[in-house]
Amino acid sequence: MSQTLFYLLVGAGLWLLGLHGLLCLRQPLRRIMAVNIMGSGVFMVMLALAVRPDSPDPVLQALIVTGLVVAASATALALRLASADRDRAQKTAEEGE
Amino acid sequence: MNTALLSLSAPLLAALWLLLTHRRQAPVVIVASLISLVAAVFSLYQVIDAGEQSLALGGWESPLGIRLRLMPVSAMLLTFTALIHSLVGLYAWRSRHSQTRHTDYWPLSCLLHAALAALWLSHDIFNWYVTLELLGLVAVVMVCLAGPKAYGAALRYLLLSLAASLCYLLGVALLYGVYGVLDVSLLAEAARADPSTRTALMLMTVGLMLKAALWPLHLWLPAAHSSAPTAVSALLSALVVKGPLFILWLLWSRVAPEELGQAAGPWLALAGVGALLVGGWSALRAPLIKLMVAYSTVAQLGYALLALGLMLHWRELSLDAALWLFVLAHGLAKVSMFLAAGEMQSTLGSRRLDSLKGATQTMPVAMFAFAVAGGSLIGLPPSGGFLAKWLLLLPLLQNPAHWPWALGVMLGTLISAAYVFRVVAISFDRARPTSPDFNPDRFAQWLSLLPALLVWGMALISEQLILWLTGATL
Amino acid sequence: MSLLWTPFLPLAIVLSSLIPGLLIFTLREEQQRTRVALNLVGVVLKLLLVVVMLAGVAQGFTFRFQVPFLPGVPLILQGDALSLQFVSLSSLLWLATTIYAIGYFRGSPLQSRFFGYFSLCVSATVGLALAGNLVTFLLFYELLTLATFPLVVHKGTAAALDAGRRYLAYTMGGGTLTLMGVALLHSVAATPDFTAGGYLAPLLGEVDVSLTLAFALLIAGLGVKAALVPLHGWLPRAMVAPAPVSALLHAVAVVKAGAFGIIRVVYDVYGVETVAALELTRPLLYLAGFTIVYGSLMALRQRDIKKRLAFSTVSQVSYITLGVALLGPVAAVGALAHLVHQGLMKVTLFYCAGSFAETCGVHQVQEMDGLGRRMPLTMVAFTLAALGMIGIPPLAGFISKWYLGWGALAVDEPWVLVVLVVSGILNAAYFLPMIYRGWFAASKTGECARTEAPAMLLWPTLFTAALVVLVGVFAAFDLSPLAWAQLIVDREFGL
Repeated sequence: MSQTLFYLLVGAGLWLLGLHGLLCLRQPLRRIMAVNIMGSGVFMVMLALAVRPDSPDPVLQALIVTGLVVAASATALALRLASADRDRAQKTAEEGE
Repeated sequence: MNTALLSLSAPLLAALWLLLTHRRQAPVVIVASLISLVAAVFSLYQVIDAGEQSLALGGWESPLGIRLRLMPVSAMLLTFTALIHSLVGLYAWRSRHSQTRHTDYWPLSCLLHAALAALWLSHDIFNWYVTLELLGLVAVVMVCLAGPKAYGAALRYLLLSLAASLCYLLGVALLYGVYGVLDVSLLAEAARADPSTRTALMLMTVGLMLKAALWPLHLWLPAAHSSAPTAVSALLSALVVKGPLFILWLLWSRVAPEELGQAAGPWLALAGVGALLVGGWSALRAPLIKLMVAYSTVAQLGYALLALGLMLHWRELSLDAALWLFVLAHGLAKVSMFLAAGEMQSTLGSRRLDSLKGATQTMPVAMFAFAVAGGSLIGLPPSGGFLAKWLLLLPLLQNPAHWPWALGVMLGTLISAAYVFRVVAISFDRARPTSPDFNPDRFAQWLSLLPALLVWGMALISEQLILWLTGATL
Repeated sequence: MSLLWTPFLPLAIVLSSLIPGLLIFTLREEQQRTRVALNLVGVVLKLLLVVVMLAGVAQGFTFRFQVPFLPGVPLILQGDALSLQFVSLSSLLWLATTIYAIGYFRGSPLQSRFFGYFSLCVSATVGLALAGNLVTFLLFYELLTLATFPLVVHKGTAAALDAGRRYLAYTMGGGTLTLMGVALLHSVAATPDFTAGGYLAPLLGEVDVSLTLAFALLIAGLGVKAALVPLHGWLPRAMVAPAPVSALLHAVAVVKAGAFGIIRVVYDVYGVETVAALELTRPLLYLAGFTIVYGSLMALRQRDIKKRLAFSTVSQVSYITLGVALLGPVAAVGALAHLVHQGLMKVTLFYCAGSFAETCGVHQVQEMDGLGRRMPLTMVAFTLAALGMIGIPPLAGFISKWYLGWGALAVDEPWVLVVLVVSGILNAAYFLPMIYRGWFAASKTGECARTEAPAMLLWPTLFTAALVVLVGVFAAFDLSPLAWAQLIVDREFGL
């Protein structure tokens, strides 16, 4: 049980760390990473909760897999947006000069 | 139930077809949304006739399977979504100023429609997470349709939306960890008022409030909604923010144990009053047309949150009807307002409010639509906004101890009157002479008036509507 | 008694101005003939319908139209004696003002917009007069605000916009207060029909706090339109609007709507006994008395003709509130008669002011020198209406003041007489110099050519001026406003 508690706490810690990063950081790439860390925290909590005496709870594992798919696609979109926004910023800066 | 599924799958199939064939055919979307509308109306009839229905997907029963559930409110929202989608689609197709005519708007709006329909039909806290994410991602991409200048706002929207989802997901994980079920009905039976449930509900509420842009977590909304193309702004304000609100409502009114709801109610209601005042004040100060309309969304959501909070606190179930009437009235009025604002902005060539000088002469129909929709936002009788406010006010006034809340509603009304009439007053200024090639789009203006007329037309069926909603939300 | 068609008569009276109004919006600027035709058809139709209803109500018919609206609260349009007093006034003055406005706006732009909103405004007023319960009243009260705003800002100048903003700020605030009052009353007593003698008496002693608060909210909300001090700030500013709009604001629709609402609330919602039992009369009485004197004093200080007339309205409309607040049947007759009398006199004065400004460019009081020689007929009308306002017998104003004074003595409030006398002296002090200048002062510009106002402006003015004389002289006649007021009071007080 203490092991479960450990993972739970680490998961919650990662989630808080990610949240802190998202709120305090300004650079898009770092904020995207912060969101991902938040996600990892949640998945870790879910993993810890899935522990059962005999075999782990399949429902939670299914949820994690679904969550990972969502997180990966959202990250891809965020990265694309961030790079497009940076290009735009550079372009306007050049035009400004 | 089958008709509800048809209402969900029509836009989904249309979206897939458009994506696979790389075509951007507006008529396909309009037809799909109309099919969806007809199907939703049938499902609404069925629900009124035969009561709630549910379907276990793939024959898997809960707790393992996913259960779809057609409640009266979800049938109503299905109809509402399809109606708004077809109206906005018609505008995006026919208006000369629509920036979205030959873009990816078409498959995306269908996906948005499908995601929302799935959200209304889901009855499972994890499924809601998936639909919320779908909704969020599609909405972000739609904001990007406005071109590079919207990328910054879209990115901020995306990151906050993701963070909100993760907040919500953590709550879901905790609830599952405690009770071992995801289905809403099963959770409602099992839920106890213990610390972990409390934490989970709090996390989910924060996530949902962030997604629904409920004060004080609304900061992303004005930039995202005002920088999107007109048709997208209309969809976002009228529909997308209502998704998380629906989940919040079910979560608190169905899942949460009564004593937790009672304790959380005043806080939600206070946030609602805060939204009314702060959102209204920002709308009053906004220098841009669409920014003002976006802030008014923040303010109007305050009414819904106020109704929700007080319903929880006093167990006053008639407030549920007020909440959903607000959602309907606000959705229709906001579509009208955004379409009219967008049309005027692109015809008159400036995003600033000052450019509306003389709009009653140069673009009378669009300005009329704006004012009529604004009348419903203020809550002038007999518009839909008035009906909702009336239902909200009665329980507040019955007991002298509740009068301070009524004062909040009163201030909200005054401030919304102020921001609507600020625009209307500008439009009565003398018009500047227009250039010879000035050529407003008559059809688009009339189209923007249509939803506003619908919201005032709610007066024709108001008594049945209120009675039905009061029964349906119990 | 009721026949098959009687329910639709009140609806038809509202629609007879609403439909022409909506049609006028769709007209192009140059379709002058169609616009005039639509207006006149609406006006004549409405007058005919009102005459039918007057005859019916006098014989005891009930006219009641009802559609469902809120649970337990239908929308009701209903013709009773009180509503008809207001409906007849509005319809008659709509006729005169429409003709005046057609002449006034000849050749100016944006006429379709103006006449469209003008008709909407009259429809809202008539609807408000015919409203059968508080919610219906509230609906038309708010619609009236919306329909009037475009008329106030019609000129589109900075001053007009400023006046419009102020008008909206006051009236939307008033509307919100009224809504709160209506909802509060509904939450304690539901919303039954207006009933002669009120319907709140059974609740006395149970929810007195709610009843008192609702009364305060309603009076404050209605007091905005009725221009009770300190809620009158919008009215003097709104005089930047064109003369027909001023006529509408001051005589046909807006301030009258507020005063009429106060009458309804006191007589048909609370009932005289309930108001007395809640001890609500004193504050209202003092407020009305103060407004009467304050309005007159302010009028005395104005140099601008229309501004002076506007403050005079502030004062004169409060006679109605005063008569209502006295709670006696005699004072009530005075108040109800004054509703009509004040409308006739003030509309005449504003027509004259508009004609002076349009024909001779006269806006200020000191420019009126010698006007009597240049525009004798208009000046005659002005003189009659102004003397009526002062209360010279046998003109209209005298009749209502007489009943008010008598009514004050009847309920043992002699100080009201002092208010009436002081106000009468002040009225004389600001109207007599205008009359004197017009007839006896020599024109400073030396120009004496006769330049009477165009026929379209002149005839409505003479028509209403003649009415000022007739309703006074024939006050004892069966169909006079005074007799009708007596009929209303007999029914309200159950005499």
